Amino acid sequence: MTEELITISEAAEILGVSIDTLRRWDKSGKLKPIKISEAGYRLYYRLQIELFLDNLFNLAKNWVLKNNDMPPNFYCSNSAVFQTRLTQMQDTLAKVADLSSIFPLIIAVAGEIGNNSFDHNLGNWPDVPGTFFAYDIHKRNIVLADRGLGIFATLKRVKPELNTDQEALRMAFTEVISGRAPESRGNGLKFVRKIISENPIGLVFQTGDAELILTKESSKLDIRPSTESFRGCSALITF
Amino acid sequence: MKIELKKFGTTLISRQNGREAFAALQSQLTTLGEKEDMELDFEGVITFSPSWGDEFLTPLVKQYGNRVVLMNTGNLSVKATLELLEKINQTSFNIRF
Repeated sequence: MTEELITISEAAEILGVSIDTLRRWDKSGKLKPIKISEAGYRLYYRLQIELFLDNLFNLAKNWVLKNNDMPPNFYCSNSAVFQTRLTQMQDTLAKVADLSSIFPLIIAVAGEIGNNSFDHNLGNWPDVPGTFFAYDIHKRNIVLADRGLGIFATLKRVKPELNTDQEALRMAFTEVISGRAPESRGNGLKFVRKIISENPIGLVFQTGDAELILTKESSKLDIRPSTESFRGCSALITF
Repeated sequence: MKIELKKFGTTLISRQNGREAFAALQSQLTTLGEKEDMELDFEGVITFSPSWGDEFLTPLVKQYGNRVVLMNTGNLSVKATLELLEKINQTSFNIRF
């Protein structure tokens, strides 16, 4: 087990919740810190937080990293299947009282990320086409992943000056690409960033060896090297 | 002419579906008067995203300009998408409140 200790603010950022929420979870026993520092600060294991997020994320990770099996109901072989399952999720979230105003934003964020996988890999899937798509309404998270080309390889076609996954990830989430040539290219990830910066929604997005963490009021993009590298994209949305 | 977007679905999210909706709309537009407004009503739409909007709204506004009038745009995903499309296309939509 990796024993990297992180602070409550880092844990809050990964989970996409406030520090106050984590303090409440500590008192209620839902998620307790591993220890309290000498100065009285709550400390957590990074892995503890990642595991808390969900086993869904591990399932997705093992699929993109090792091509492990996944439950058939999590697999969307094409965009029509994805659209159908997204609409089902929309119907489920619509029934949650405290999400009544923002659930369309959560669906739009998941829709843009999921559709990106199909739009940018159509005809170019390296091996298994389609996406992993699962959600847990109780833990309030959504997991999406694909074994596609990844952002760096697809963006480099239109932006040859790109050299790394981190550069590509930053460009995808920041630069409005209006030329759209030679292919129809969306600005979906800029939309995702805007929505998350204004709402209580969190995102951990990985492509290649780069990872991005976005939360409400993230003023700058927190992009860092990821612990494990893989070819496609994965996203964990918390709400 | 009034077009109810919910007739294209209540979850308007992918480029592919946006393109299909735009193609389907063309047959209706043959009856649009030369100076007539095209009212696009978002009433009943639950989720709207930039991919769909860019394939449907962007070409309509390019062709018909301010004659494209948007109505019932209060849904948060509609609002956020319209703001982004305005920024990308450096234009502003004709929204009727």
